[in-house]
This record gives sequence, C-alpha cells and structure tokens, in this order.
Amino acid sequence: MVIPLSLAGLALAAAAGVAAQAPPEPPSIAKECGDARIADKPLAASAAALQLRKRIKILAIGASSTAVLGIGRNGNPPLLERILERTIKGLDVEIVNRGFSGELGEAAGERIRIEVALNQPDIVLWQVGTNDAFAHVPVESFELSVGNTVRWLKEHNVDVILVGLHYVKRIAKHPHYQAIRASLRRVATTQNVLRIGRYEAMEVLARTAATNGRPEMEDFGLTETGYNCMAQYIARTITVGLFAKPPKQAPTPEPAK
Amino acid sequence: MPRQANALDFWRGFALVSIFINHVPGIYYERLTHRNLSISDSAELFVFLAGWSLGLLVGSSNKPKSNAAPLAFRLGGRSIQIYAAHILISGLALALLAGTAHLMENPLILEWHNAAAFFQDSARTQMGIVLLSHQLGYFDILPLYVVLMLVAPAFVIIDRFAKPLLVPLSLVLYFASLTVPFTAPTWPVEGNWFFNPFTWQAIFVLGFALSRDEGLGRFVRSNLTLIRCVAAPIVLVSAVLVWFNWFPDPTKLPDPRLLFLNGKSFLTPIRLIQFLALAAVFSAAYPVIARVLPWFTEPLSILGRNSLNVFCVGSLLSLSGQIVRFLYSGSVIVDTVVLIVGVGILWLTAWLSEWRERQGVGG
Repeated sequence: MVIPLSLAGLALAAAAGVAAQAPPEPPSIAKECGDARIADKPLAASAAALQLRKRIKILAIGASSTAVLGIGRNGNPPLLERILERTIKGLDVEIVNRGFSGELGEAAGERIRIEVALNQPDIVLWQVGTNDAFAHVPVESFELSVGNTVRWLKEHNVDVILVGLHYVKRIAKHPHYQAIRASLRRVATTQNVLRIGRYEAMEVLARTAATNGRPEMEDFGLTETGYNCMAQYIARTITVGLFAKPPKQAPTPEPAK
Repeated sequence: MPRQANALDFWRGFALVSIFINHVPGIYYERLTHRNLSISDSAELFVFLAGWSLGLLVGSSNKPKSNAAPLAFRLGGRSIQIYAAHILISGLALALLAGTAHLMENPLILEWHNAAAFFQDSARTQMGIVLLSHQLGYFDILPLYVVLMLVAPAFVIIDRFAKPLLVPLSLVLYFASLTVPFTAPTWPVEGNWFFNPFTWQAIFVLGFALSRDEGLGRFVRSNLTLIRCVAAPIVLVSAVLVWFNWFPDPTKLPDPRLLFLNGKSFLTPIRLIQFLALAAVFSAAYPVIARVLPWFTEPLSILGRNSLNVFCVGSLLSLSGQIVRFLYSGSVIVDTVVLIVGVGILWLTAWLSEWRERQGVGG
C-alpha cells in the first residue's frame, strides 16, 4: 500500500486524536436486525476528516443505494446519514450517491476512480458482487478487478467499506453466487478493508425471526426490513471505525495477481 | 414504401444492435462490440445520428423560413412520442422485474436497474419516473432523447436565423457544464442523470450541424479527405489506449478534471473528439460494405428505419437477456441463443412496424 507519508501520518495522528476524545456510544442495532458480527477496523482517512473538518464525505456506489443507505422518506436524508449525525455530535455527513444499477464490478471500478477524482470522498461505500454473480462473471476476473480498485482507493488514502451480497433463501445454494461471495470476502481480508456482511446480516435476520417463534418472514419482507438494518450496521461500523485506535503496524496487503 | 438501405439507417441499426448487446452485462458477445477498441461507444453514435436525422427531417437549409412554426409542433409531437415510449417501457420493465422476482421468489431482482426505490417508495418514485427524474438503469437514454427533441425547435430556429451561432452556443454550454460542473439531478433518489443533457446536447447538435448542406456540414464535406487523415491516427491511438487501458490516474489530472478524464456521463472531450474522428473515418466504410456485403446492409437498415420501436423492444429484450443468463448460467451457448433470439425479435419488430405502415394501420 502506498500512502504518502505526510497524509498517512496526519491520518494516524488525527485518528489517535479523535480516539483520545470520548468516543460516542456506537448506535444500537434494532433487535429485529439480529447480531451480525462485523470486524472493527479504524477508518484513518475519515477520522482525519472528522478531526479537521467535523465533516465526512461518503461516496455510495453500486447496485442499489436504497439497500445500503436506508430509506429516506418524506424528504428526509437517508437513514445512514441521520444515524451518523445523531450519534456523533456536530458531525456533518455528506453522502454523494452515485449508484448505478446493473453495473458490474469492473465497470464500477472505473467509475469509482472518476468519482473519487471529482468528489474527493473520505469513504467509499461500495456495494458489489450481486450483479457479477447474476451475470456469471468469472470469479478470478471479479476478484482481480475489485481487488485492484480497493488497492487503488487505499493508495489514494480513501477508506473503503465493501458491502457484500444479499442473503436470499432461494439462492443460498447457488454455486456461483456463493463463489462470488467468498471471493469478495477474500478481497476484504487480503486488502484489510471493512466488509459489511450483508449476507450474514440477512441470514441472522431470517434466523432471529424464526427463533423468536414468528412465522418465517418472506424474502420480500426480509428485504424491506433489511434495507434499514443495513444502514444501521453501516452507521455502527463507521462510528466505531472513526474512533478506533489505529493498529501499531498495518499489515501490508499482497498485490492482486 | 420504406426507403432504400442507406448509411444513416445502417449505422443506426448497427448502434441499436450494439446497445442491445452491451446492455446485457457479461454476455460473451459484449467483447465483440466496438467499445472494446474505442473510447466512445454506441450511445454516442445513437445520439449523433439522432441529431443527423433531425437535420434530414428539417430538410434543406434553403426552405422558406415561414416553415418554422409547424416544424416546431412536429418536433414537439415527436418528443411526446418518445416520452410516451419511455414511460411505457419503464412500466413494462418494472413489471418484468416484479414478475420475475415473484416467480423466482428472489427479491434481489427488485433491486436491479435502480428499481428498488420504486418498490420501496412507490408514490414519490412514480412521480420521479413521470418527471424523468428517476430513471431505471439502462433505460436512461430515452429521457435524454426526449429533452433533446423538446429543445430541437430552438436548435432549428437558431440554424435558420443565426446559423453561425448554433455550434458555438452548444459548445459554450458543453464546456460550462464540464468546468462548473453541473448536470441534471435525479429525484427521489439523490444523484445525477446518467447522460448529462447539458453535455450530450453537443453531440446531438454536431450531428445536426454536420448533416446540413451549409456551414459546418459543407466545410467538413469539402475537406473530408484531409479530416480523415487527421482522424485516422486518433482512432488508432484511441484503440491502443483502450486495449491496454492506458489512461492517466484521474486524481492526477489538472482542474477542471472533467476536461481531461474519460467519463461517459459527462461526454468528456476525449470521448467527443474520438467519436468525431471515428465517424469521419467510418463514414467511408458504408459504400464498401454495401458493395461487398449487400445482404448485410438491409437487415441493419430496417432496424435503423424503425429505430424508436426497435430501441424500446431492445431495452426490454436486454433486460430479459439478463434474467435468462442468470437462470440458465451465462455459457456461450446461452449467450448465443440470447443474441440470436434478441436480434431476431428486433428484426421482427422492425418488419412488423413497416408491414403495419404498408397496411395503413394507425395512419
């Protein structure tokens, strides 16, 4: 990973500075959303932005913005923005929504580079994989293109949060769908970036509904509830990431083959 | 009687088939479309030829100037026709997605093509669809076309009464949109139009201006050989750049970055220049194709002659193709079936449109 030393230093110092302040209580996740485990990782660039400007800019890109930002009815901003601004006092969140439905990971990667150049976001929230799974994109080329884009973002000091594939009971055993899902997980691990396990969250949601003795939720109901649950998970992840202590030595990701 | 095969209809048909293929992401034959060797793609060709057609519709520059008012009404009528077609196919696409989601018990299908907003917030999204501020993915070129045809009377009037101003005014708007920058917003989902109408109008106006027998059109026709000599290296260098993906890091470009990067939504200058070079070079190809492959020109020309109907059916077929590929895995065999059936239905749509006209149905 090549981050200019000055920027990296500033980011780490800012993250440490922010962490020194009393971090806010991370937003709670509604009971109905279950308890999907999401790793805590510091978001160094965004922590620096928070420290310097009290403002973070999130670029939302990928198949369905509604699915990751939450529903914002009656002229309200999306749920994600509302939760973050409510949780972190004085924080101004700007969401630049550049979702383009139907786009594959490779095309989205090219567009991300342009949007980053034009909008200079602190975080890229990238929902990726579902369209590639549906379009039967070979796993290797998916992994290569997503991995390259994530590496490019890290080199440009932009925090990355990958939002993975959706859980739907009907396609839980679809081999290519699962292969793309596993591939995205590998990219997140190799590149050491956050991945919101949309699949796991939805699976937990379905399981929670079943264990609580409620009649099994239909996939359609699951989806609608899932949109707002995803926004809650992402808001929590960002809040934790903004105040998390940076690791002493960040592991160096292996270059994509 | 439908008109004879010609270059305009042929290239329009070519653009329609390319758009159909490119709108089935992941299909094997995607790698055979010209965008793999060209910075611009079939969208630029389609809009440029729409401008060129406007020039033919308006007729000779020497027509009496009193014809402006009826012409404006005619263009307005065409705009309403395109708008109605767009609303119809958007409704059908939503129904197709909803039906497939139900049949497959897979709600993910409801998220395709920016449709999630419609199914989650239908009241506001329905208004957005009618206002053209909410566009489904891959169903976003007709809204641009509607706007361009609505503004077309202004282009025609400027062409009639202040011809030398048309292209400069268009380019001023184009560069203003790139440098400020500004575009048309979407609603209720916050975002931007995929095709920025303030920049894409430039290629439409250039198509119109180049089709005319005076002004820029006459200049280009008089110097076509020289222009092709300049254009050919641009086309070749672009092909190399695209093939090896040799584009600079967009964050390293000077401001205003939209003037230098390769962006389809804003139709950035690199795309516009490359397209014009491509058009200059390939305008020489049609007579050769018509002579060497005469059986090839009529099937594409019939598509081009009935472009609106074919485009609408093609949009729905692309969506259906995506569903088929998901259901039956995207093997080369499935992709070949999607291609053959798709292009076959496009041709049938065009043939039925002309048959209907021959029968005098619908006036």
